[in-house]
Amino acid sequence: MEIFIEQILNGLTLGSQYALVAVGLALIFGVVEIVNFAHGEFFMLGAYAFAMVYPYDGPVPYPLAILLATAIMVLFGIGYERVVIHPILDKTWHMQIIATLATSIIFINSAMAIWGTTPITIPTSLAKTTVQTAYFNISYQRMMVFGVTALTFIALHLFIQKTKAGKAMRAMSQNREACAVYGINIRKISVLTFAISSGLTGLAAALIAPLFNVLPTMGILLTLKAFAAVIMGGFGRVSGAIYASFIIGLTEALAAGYGHYLNIDSAYRDAFPFGMMVLVLLFRPHGLFGKRVGI
Amino acid sequence: MKIPRILFWFCLVTFLAIFPLVVKTPYFIHIFILVGMYVIFALSYDLSVGQVGVLSLAHPAFFGVGAYTAAILSVNYDFPPLLCFLLGGILAAVLALGIGIPSFRLSQHSFAIGTLGFALIAELISRNWIDLTRGPMGIPGIPRPTLSIPYLFSWKIDTLTKFYYFMGILVLLGVGFYHTLATSRIGRAFRSIREDEILAASAGVHILKYKMIAFISGAAMAGIIGVYYAYWYTLVSPEQLSLYYTTNLLIIVFLGGRGSLRGIVLGAFLFTALPEFLRITPQLRLILYGIILLFVVLYFPDGIERILQRLTTPKRIISAFEKE
Repeated sequence: MEIFIEQILNGLTLGSQYALVAVGLALIFGVVEIVNFAHGEFFMLGAYAFAMVYPYDGPVPYPLAILLATAIMVLFGIGYERVVIHPILDKTWHMQIIATLATSIIFINSAMAIWGTTPITIPTSLAKTTVQTAYFNISYQRMMVFGVTALTFIALHLFIQKTKAGKAMRAMSQNREACAVYGINIRKISVLTFAISSGLTGLAAALIAPLFNVLPTMGILLTLKAFAAVIMGGFGRVSGAIYASFIIGLTEALAAGYGHYLNIDSAYRDAFPFGMMVLVLLFRPHGLFGKRVGI
Repeated sequence: MKIPRILFWFCLVTFLAIFPLVVKTPYFIHIFILVGMYVIFALSYDLSVGQVGVLSLAHPAFFGVGAYTAAILSVNYDFPPLLCFLLGGILAAVLALGIGIPSFRLSQHSFAIGTLGFALIAELISRNWIDLTRGPMGIPGIPRPTLSIPYLFSWKIDTLTKFYYFMGILVLLGVGFYHTLATSRIGRAFRSIREDEILAASAGVHILKYKMIAFISGAAMAGIIGVYYAYWYTLVSPEQLSLYYTTNLLIIVFLGGRGSLRGIVLGAFLFTALPEFLRITPQLRLILYGIILLFVVLYFPDGIERILQRLTTPKRIISAFEKE
């Protein structure tokens, strides 16, 4: 029982991480129609940014450090949109994928050159203190991850549904030309989408990096798992991507905890998201939560 | 125009044939073998990316399957090398069929991501199936191959020069196969799919069949070159399935120009030979590769092929096109 609850908590933590990254991917795909292969690297850079503003459980208070990391990544997202995305908007999808793939290679190897290949940890006092109950222990850090993730998604939902900018984003995901006709500044909305998506990875990194090791290659698998979530959720559907992220996180954690009963080495836990993605693609190519689209 | 072109290829082949007899430095011969490997590897990749226009990211998996087939069969079971070449190609083709069936249900972006997922699973297996692959340590000590058909011939490849000529034969076969396929009826079907899938389908081209042909034959080529790599390098490790190869292939194919034989041959040469001579640290090299790839995609999407076209096409034709 204890193992079960612990794995569920692990799964929810992983799910939160994947969801915060996958939402950004889904938004970018839905609104700007770009598949951003560098999105996991945003998380990695966010983690290093957080490590720089909060290296030893200080010098600034933790909430401020979270805001700083998020703000750095918002600025990064805006810069990324201007330098990389803007020139490829009118290119074919081949070119777009390869351009973002190329930037992801540049980010990974630049991070290696700057911070080295040894994993670093970012200690926080919240991660060390735990609440003990009859069945399980949980650190304050994890509780905060769940709380902030939930609040973030509520805020994002309200933003997309209620505000003018959010409505413009939804409109743009439906028909870009019509938006331009109605005087929506497409350029601005595209920048905004990247700012939000990139900021979310910064937030995710500041929340979750203290629980794991930080290393330059951490983004590669993350990008792919987030993609798996986006595909399983139905391409470009934000809510679907969130549900799928948690499904993936829970499956992965349970596979790691119970896989040895089925003779599955825990080293294969990373294969589960892709295995599930393949199954979904075989039987429901338009995703678990998506509607059939296209031709 | 026809005769000078044949003359050009003839001169190139002759030059390459006498190269190791004149230049005895092992280093240069090594580089030329590497160039040959990338020529075949990139051409096999171009069958799906350049000819049919489906962006598969699973290609290193096929190369890795070939390499591991040769390593396991020849180290543990002492299989004859020719059979390893055959099996490496066949297994890679079977894997391609297995990956292709679910993946070709996807379009465009999803296909790229789905195949990338398969490539990662393949790498995970090679790292973690210790009993079969020895995990991250890899399989060392692959013996020098002896190509033999009983009673007909036997060729022991034990020197660098022999490896060079063997690679030469493989490149000729690879280029021949690519050229034959690309200029045949099948090749025209490939390009019709690349230009407009719906139009091709309505003209009676069986989309899935031709996509599969390109994907599987490319995989078989990659598997065979993987077998060669195992014998040449004598060590196979999970690195051979990594994303690093995908990047290299993308750079060669896009730098050279998709669907262009001469562009890709030149691209493979530039890509492989130049960094060897420049000698920079691997990390900076990868950053540089990333920047080159980004630059090529943004500003020269047609690659070297476009420059070659400009050089070989008479000026008046170019200016006539530019007027439109």
